[in-house]
Amino acid sequence: MNNGIVFDIQEFSVHDGPGIRTTVFLKGCPSRCKWCHNPEGLRGEPEEITGPAGKRIAGKEYTAEELAAILNQQAEILTMNKGGVTFSGGEPLFQALFVSEVIDRLQGLHVLLDTHGYAEQKEFSLLAEKSDLIYFDLKLIASEAHQRWTGVDNKPILQNLKILSTQNKPPYVIRIPLVPGVTDTMQNMHDIADIIQKLKRGPERIELLPYNTAAGSKYSSCGLVFKPDFIESKDINIKLSIFNDCGIPVLVK
Amino acid sequence: MAMNTRLEEMKMRTRTGVHKDARQSNIIDIEAECIREELSMMQCVSRLTRRMCESERVIIQEDENIVFTRTHKHVPISFMTRQSGQQHSERIFHELGPISNICADWGMVLSQGLLQRKTMAEETLSHLENDPDAVEFLSAAIETIDAVLNLVKRYSVKAKQLGRNDIVTMLNHVPENPPRTFHEALQFIRFVHAIVWLSGHYHVGLGRFDQYMWPYLKDDLLEGRIDMKNAEDLLAEFFISLNKDSDLYPGVQQGDNGQTLMIGGITKEGLDGVNELTYMVLRVARDVAMIDPKINLRISKDTDLELLALAAELTRLGLGFPQYSNDDVVIPALNAHGYKLEDARNYTVAACWEFIIPGKGMEVVNIGAVSLPAAVDEGIRKVLSNNGTFEDIISCTADNIQLQVNNLVEHYRKLYLPPAPFYSVLMNGCLETGRDLSKGLDYNNFGIHGACTSNAVDVLAAVKRYVFDEKSVKPDSLIYALDNNFEHMEELRQRLSGNEFKVGNNNDYVDDFLISLLDIFADACEAVEDNGRGGCIRPGTGSAMYYVWLSKGQENMHEPVVGATADGRKAGDYFSANLAPSQGIKVKGPISVLQSFSKIHYSRIYNGGPITIELSDSVFRTEEDIMKVAMLIRTFARLGCQQLQLNTLNVEALKDARKHPEEYSNLIVRVWGWSGYFCELDEEYQDQIIARHIHLV
Repeated sequence: MNNGIVFDIQEFSVHDGPGIRTTVFLKGCPSRCKWCHNPEGLRGEPEEITGPAGKRIAGKEYTAEELAAILNQQAEILTMNKGGVTFSGGEPLFQALFVSEVIDRLQGLHVLLDTHGYAEQKEFSLLAEKSDLIYFDLKLIASEAHQRWTGVDNKPILQNLKILSTQNKPPYVIRIPLVPGVTDTMQNMHDIADIIQKLKRGPERIELLPYNTAAGSKYSSCGLVFKPDFIESKDINIKLSIFNDCGIPVLVK
Repeated sequence: MAMNTRLEEMKMRTRTGVHKDARQSNIIDIEAECIREELSMMQCVSRLTRRMCESERVIIQEDENIVFTRTHKHVPISFMTRQSGQQHSERIFHELGPISNICADWGMVLSQGLLQRKTMAEETLSHLENDPDAVEFLSAAIETIDAVLNLVKRYSVKAKQLGRNDIVTMLNHVPENPPRTFHEALQFIRFVHAIVWLSGHYHVGLGRFDQYMWPYLKDDLLEGRIDMKNAEDLLAEFFISLNKDSDLYPGVQQGDNGQTLMIGGITKEGLDGVNELTYMVLRVARDVAMIDPKINLRISKDTDLELLALAAELTRLGLGFPQYSNDDVVIPALNAHGYKLEDARNYTVAACWEFIIPGKGMEVVNIGAVSLPAAVDEGIRKVLSNNGTFEDIISCTADNIQLQVNNLVEHYRKLYLPPAPFYSVLMNGCLETGRDLSKGLDYNNFGIHGACTSNAVDVLAAVKRYVFDEKSVKPDSLIYALDNNFEHMEELRQRLSGNEFKVGNNNDYVDDFLISLLDIFADACEAVEDNGRGGCIRPGTGSAMYYVWLSKGQENMHEPVVGATADGRKAGDYFSANLAPSQGIKVKGPISVLQSFSKIHYSRIYNGGPITIELSDSVFRTEEDIMKVAMLIRTFARLGCQQLQLNTLNVEALKDARKHPEEYSNLIVRVWGWSGYFCELDEEYQDQIIARHIHLV
């Protein structure tokens, strides 16, 4: 039996998938993306954060039963409104067993997994099988660059994406954060387009998420310093045509 | 878009107030006249309407298609107090004195025209010539009708001078006769509605606008006299005109004038009443984007998402309306408390949220508030200092609530309602029976609001949990802490104020107190058999300004002020407003808030008072987002809640949130592909979001 650490449960999270959803933010992430906007989700343990409104503890421990019970309290409402539950983070795969146990206890809720895919294949498959939709983040294809900007190797990520594409479900969406001068380069976009084209089963759509300079807004609350190492204010290169050959709808969010 | 250059200019002029240059600041000395001629109160009131109409300046602006601009700044109503003081020394007034906060039967008046109303008065007069009260009232009513028609005639003459034959044609017909077109119907209402205000009445709402106006628009459309675009154009002008004089209307704050307008809902016969005008009102209100009229939308569990999405677009503007009420809940509750089914189905709202029946109610829906925090505070102080049980606290609280209700009702037994001959012209049955509306109509109930519910509930939950269940807080240390405003007891205060055991989290442990406290309040109201006017007492859940007043005190307020409370709230901090979680409490979110407040027994708590939820306008940016807000509104109805006010936080509010983060702990803003709590962002980023919001406007 695994307990999990959650740093927020957000109701009516309108931008985390279809319909009315409640999003569970799982605490802890193996990556350290320089542009991460959720620094309170990085560490695996509960921590005190200090915002202008005062101190609070970010991170609460739940058993799978407890968390499932909270979500099930709203099951009827979420389902009635074509929504469900989104597991985000942090990185939900970081607590894959816990999330899996929570999903097992949900009363027929639509499950969206919002992940960047960095995990062992076994863990990824465990949650992918139980999800109704996956938001899969792709950041950088060149492996050195990925290592440099996110602190982790992208091999497991690309591997998991490939595995996902060989299964016939669940449907998935590829989401690309456009970080100026980092992920939005022509080279990287072409690399991503190439990979998508080669996937056996393509995504439902591609979403481009232009970087917003508010990404660093919560760092000092967590006692961290935001050091983006890139020029935040630089114009973002948005070239939708690159994905033309993929034959997949592209949206800018 | 309903707006064009002409309307934009008209709106701009209204906002800058060019029309105010024509205003007269002289005050008519009605009192001297009344004394000199030894007029009765009834005669004084009709004389007031007449003099106001006679001395209005006629203003027709070149580009106007619907005329009337009020020029009198003041309505001299002070004579009422003095006159009535002589005649009724024991009596008290409600608020300013004149009849307010009721709704005319606009549909009836339109369908008859003022001439037919006058004929009715004359007919009744001929039957009742031996009844001096009836004779006096009917003569007064006729005097007011003549006064209005004379003013309209002067407008017509002026229009002729200006070569506006279109207006001449219209004014030669309405409001004397029933309108022949949608345009004439709007002109009719503009005149008659404005003159109700001009007669000293206030909180004059427009009732079920899409129901009584639709027949005129429908006929125009069928006959090809008008197209939708021109109809929208006229409606937009009408809405703008309602903003012209609103700075002259009394209210606690500017804009708090009660100029409500109801749309949607079922008909008197129980059929779906939504029509093309329902949609048009929402579109035009969205495009005009001014604070009047204040749109209310009646919905049910089956209301189309398309209509709700349009309403959500209006909500997005951050004007604080539409306000939603749930037919599935309101109608049965009214019906169970003496309202005929066809009347209950025809409900509208008073100035804020109270459910009233157009043309049939002489109700005083806000005689005052019961301070629920004061009641529970007294309960815990009395009982904890005597080692009593938790049940003792509840029973002591109930006694206090009954006492507060009784005090209000006793006070209002001395209520004096001054006559209102012109308003009576617009009501059902007054001219027909020769009785002024102040003598009572079909419904004569009073409303009392249970104010600041959430704090009171949170206090009970905290005391039950920490003092009785856990026994981790000693009764005397709690009382000491309250007496000393938690000085040097911050740890205790924080424990009591923890977010988890607070109303709005869909936690039954807490919400059971919400149900029982309001049931106790309903019991107390039901225990009053007669309010002195043949009516009952309707319990509600609105707070209006009480969330400030009950905490800080206010001159002439009957309700007790409460210091620090056992939910960890410090003395002087604001209480919760309407049905919203207590200030500064971070609850799980809007779904849980709806779930918590859906548990109230609305069949007994039926005076109105909305669940209040704040959303950032960034959560409805795309069509898909708007549709989700529409789903949230439908969820409100499907959960069986009663009334909903959905506020959008705009730039000003965001700025305020930065200054007072403790009051906005639930405010969510969209930052990037994600949303965050506004108050947890660093200041510079808050600035940035504010800047981005400015960008959006």
